[in-house]
Amino acid sequence: MTLREINDVEDLYEYLYAAIQLEHATIPPYITSMYTMKPNSNLEAYNVIRVIVVEEMLHLTLAANVLNAIGGAPNLIKEGFVPEFPTYLPNGEEDFEVNIESFSPKTIDNFLMIERPAREYQDGHVPKQFTSFKNTSRKRILPTYISAEGEEKHFYSIGEFYAFIGEGLTKLSLKLGEEEFFKGDPERQITPEYYYSGGGEIIPVTNLESALEAIRLISEQGEGFEGAIYDNEGELSHYYRFEQIKLGRYYLAGDTAGNPKGKELTIDWDAVYNIKTNPKMEDYPEESELYEANVKFNTYYKNFLAKINDAFNGNPQNLIPAIGEMFVLKNMAYELIHNPIPGKEGVYGAPTFEVDKVPEISKV
Amino acid sequence: MDINLIEFQFFLKLSEKLTAFTSFQLQGTGVAEAYYSTVKNVVGVTIFQELIDTFNKIQTDSDDETSLDKEIRHRILSNSKLGPVARNIIKMWFVGTWYQLPNYWLEKYGVSNSDSTFVVSENAYKEGLLWPTIGAHPMGAKAPGYGTWEDPPKIPTV
Amino acid sequence: MSNDHSKITYTIDHSTASQKVYDVVIVGSGISGSILANEIAKEGFSVLIVEAGPGKDLSLTGYEKLLNTFYTAVTKDNNAPYKSNPNAPMPRSPKVQKARLGHPNTDNYMVQNGPFVTDTSYSRVVGGTTMHWEAKTPRMLPEDFKMRTLFDKGLDWPITYRELQPYYRMAEKEIGVSGNVESQEFKHLDPITKEFSETSLYADNYVYPMHQMPPSYLDKCVAKDINGTTLELDGDKKELKVRSFPQGRNGIPNVEYRKYNNGEVYRPVAAVSSHQAEIGERCQGNNNCTPICPVQAKYDARKTLAKALRTGRVDLLPQTIASKVVVNPENGRVTSIEYKNYKDVNSSEYESGVLKGKIFILAANAIENARLMLASGLKSTSNLMGKNFMDHPYLLCWGLLPENTGTFRGTICTSGISDIRSGHFRRKQAAFAVDIHNDGWGWATGSPYTNLLDIVDNKNKYGTALRKELVSQVSRQLLLAFMVEMLPETSNKISVNPQYRDRLGNMRPVVSFHVPDYSMEGVAYGRELSKQLFQRLGAEDYSIYDPLDYGYVNYNGSGYAIRGGNHIAGTHIMGTSERNSVVNFKQRSWDYDNLFLIGAGSMPTIGTSNTTLTMAAMCFLSAEEVIKDLKKITSKTEIASPIYNSISG
Repeated sequence: MTLREINDVEDLYEYLYAAIQLEHATIPPYITSMYTMKPNSNLEAYNVIRVIVVEEMLHLTLAANVLNAIGGAPNLIKEGFVPEFPTYLPNGEEDFEVNIESFSPKTIDNFLMIERPAREYQDGHVPKQFTSFKNTSRKRILPTYISAEGEEKHFYSIGEFYAFIGEGLTKLSLKLGEEEFFKGDPERQITPEYYYSGGGEIIPVTNLESALEAIRLISEQGEGFEGAIYDNEGELSHYYRFEQIKLGRYYLAGDTAGNPKGKELTIDWDAVYNIKTNPKMEDYPEESELYEANVKFNTYYKNFLAKINDAFNGNPQNLIPAIGEMFVLKNMAYELIHNPIPGKEGVYGAPTFEVDKVPEISKV
Repeated sequence: MDINLIEFQFFLKLSEKLTAFTSFQLQGTGVAEAYYSTVKNVVGVTIFQELIDTFNKIQTDSDDETSLDKEIRHRILSNSKLGPVARNIIKMWFVGTWYQLPNYWLEKYGVSNSDSTFVVSENAYKEGLLWPTIGAHPMGAKAPGYGTWEDPPKIPTV
Repeated sequence: MSNDHSKITYTIDHSTASQKVYDVVIVGSGISGSILANEIAKEGFSVLIVEAGPGKDLSLTGYEKLLNTFYTAVTKDNNAPYKSNPNAPMPRSPKVQKARLGHPNTDNYMVQNGPFVTDTSYSRVVGGTTMHWEAKTPRMLPEDFKMRTLFDKGLDWPITYRELQPYYRMAEKEIGVSGNVESQEFKHLDPITKEFSETSLYADNYVYPMHQMPPSYLDKCVAKDINGTTLELDGDKKELKVRSFPQGRNGIPNVEYRKYNNGEVYRPVAAVSSHQAEIGERCQGNNNCTPICPVQAKYDARKTLAKALRTGRVDLLPQTIASKVVVNPENGRVTSIEYKNYKDVNSSEYESGVLKGKIFILAANAIENARLMLASGLKSTSNLMGKNFMDHPYLLCWGLLPENTGTFRGTICTSGISDIRSGHFRRKQAAFAVDIHNDGWGWATGSPYTNLLDIVDNKNKYGTALRKELVSQVSRQLLLAFMVEMLPETSNKISVNPQYRDRLGNMRPVVSFHVPDYSMEGVAYGRELSKQLFQRLGAEDYSIYDPLDYGYVNYNGSGYAIRGGNHIAGTHIMGTSERNSVVNFKQRSWDYDNLFLIGAGSMPTIGTSNTTLTMAAMCFLSAEEVIKDLKKITSKTEIASPIYNSISG
């Protein structure tokens, strides 16, 4: 998939599809790392990551609201929606790969790459120019940006990607007229009755202001506000939340980047199940219970995405039972991670998230 | 602990028989090793070894499920030394609690003063097999999510 | 959202606190104390909250420790999340033993004189007993406020349902109630016409902040057979229906509620924590409301307390027991509260001092309020301090349904029968509400643990047979809990006796208690009704009441094991004069003008409603009065003479 300059609504649909895909793509690596922590260990690190996951789900939902507001239709069940790990991020960052792997310092470094703030700020503002785009020759499975000149480029950070979407929204709203542009059925919006959590508030999107507000919330929760470690709501951004794990100390209000001054955050890097990195179905012996359980997980996960998709496509009330499925998935993931792979010394199983390789359980 | 330890594998096999959960499910709880250590610590290595050895012999001696069942009853569950230990292993798997062994047992075989009723760990409580057996979850943990209680329970068939 | 990333110290040490003169000193950080503190602090006044228990529970780590204590507790009673604290002990139900004739039962914190021994419990921790409340929030009925007038039983309140209604709404907002108004619209008596009323209990098309908790599958199965049951009771014809209960836990906000919330959709309150841990969304069905909700979807008073603390005008002084209320005999005004502050729950060492304020509020609960007043040597003109002790007696009836309906799923209770809460029969026998328990026989028998032990040790099953037997014994369980009305009687009382003290030397509460015949008549009727309902359901009745049970009560030739409801009330009832009550309807002490005794202790009757919601409503009413007082004091600070006339007698 390739993104191009945003000139019409169809272009924006593609960007928002990529946004939803991007927000989702971080979830399997994040939750797997949490689930590899041994029982009753690393509770602080677990909670740090859990909050980020909760916010990623909010971002996913916000992106779906924006897409619905401009008459698009979220699609979480399309083949290829769930990336094959290792993967690049769907926004085109490609100087690092995203893995499914055990909780470790290296994994946290990887998460820091995912959440890295935009590289340069001019006058303390998100750059208008995507100076950080760079050329590449590597083969990609995920979208890149083709400039007007036909050059293939990549976003450096998630924030830049969203800033681009924000500009596109503003541009098209002006071009088509706000009312005409935001023509989506408001009944398709996920509203606060159906989605709330400690991780922030859902914003129903009906016009340019609310759309930009949603985009702002996503980027700020991710990487902070105007280069600061806290966002406009006073919440620590994801990058710095992860950095606390790396540095072993909590940030306090008023701290500067890289110098947290809060209490110590203790981590036991050894209290972790050593899973197969980026596991695949064929890593588990066929006929083994591990294999069966993984197929079952993937099938449930596929079904889970189908239910979320149904909620995003006109049945917002179905979001609540869909979210309930996550509890089942969590227990299934734990079961996999606690079991050694037969024949592999000291290496444990993990869900493979290969949803395109399994059939759906049921139609929603 | 080396989980490939043969004794641990036999403990899992015995637990499979006693609980009717598969070794995958038992290991999936993440507390199998803790249970293995708990039994060994409380009843002592000798009795634990005797239990494992007896089970092993039974397995070799029995040709089918019916004779296996009979031998488990005859040589383990009805045995005054091994029976209470085996029953305690069952209870521990189902609710995460080690129950103090009966007085007569303690007087005759007791080696450790760590034998009292206790919950093995927080996780042992959460991983009790009783709860999935009845299509539920331990009270206060592993919640199924808002509104799930409206639907009939999903009780696994055995 | 609870995103305080900075280090905020909410607690104050006792030496600093004792240097200050607060506008208000509140004893107890439970729901009453927290609501009062928040309302008063919002108006700009300074508040000190004195709490007997330790105060670290406001952080998520602190809360997780409570959870872990619960997970690893062998006995999972109401107070299982709390380590034993001999400096501020609390009743523990597993410790309750049968009374021996003529010997007070002194083993537990509460000394029990009998004849009835109660297993009722409360928590002396930050957040008070809401930490383990089930969070059921039905309102009282209009007729409940007029028991004497309508039924010639109990007492009338000095306030009517209609007068309390706006405060009920405030309480429902504060607690965050999920409920369905229609499900509560069963037939009830109009206190004026004395006939069944067609008017809504709620008025103005009111809705609750959130939609009702979905009824459990069990509720729906039971409803199929129970709905439509007709019965005649003292001339009233009744038709039973399973109805959902309103509950104080996060559900799905009702957009219709906007009109009661300044045009905004109700925003559920997440977990209380002070550090980077956003949790506490919708109820996830942990089936553990009592003793502790692991995700803080259930309201507990710390949610209100956290708001109060964030005003910056409230100090929390934990690990401090109010040991004496000091009164100036000249003018009958409270001058200070003496305290004992302990450093460590494992040590009996303490330091003492006095806390000063302009207005004093005791919000420690019905037993502790009365205990403190009596221990301070402060009786009341009416001589009613500590008397009229009430608690809902519960009768449990349990059976096995013909099909697997599932147990241990959902909140502890989602629905029940409310039709017998109201009617003319109340001139003869107690009304009751019936809970359908989603946690099986747990309360009655200790299921599922007892089932497991029985199957393994007595039924000699293992493996597949064990699993099948577990399903057969547990998944069909139905427990009906009859929460029976209890009326005030002066002989049911809390007293103190210098002979009985806790480790810090504070006098322990002494309970004298019997279950009145009026209630037992309701219990007996409830038992008969349960048999009828089990017949309709095709359920096997396993209810058995052991004469050796500590709560065993013989009534008219039949025995019943009665359980405490943890709805302690009545020990400082409100009324119309200093002769018939301890406080007025604003919960101000008749005898000590700058003293308020707050909580269910002020309730003259408790009807068939769990007490917390009504108590919370009363707190909002009292807050208005305290604020009025404070404004008067502030505007007259220059005047040296006391502004209150002494009414002491």
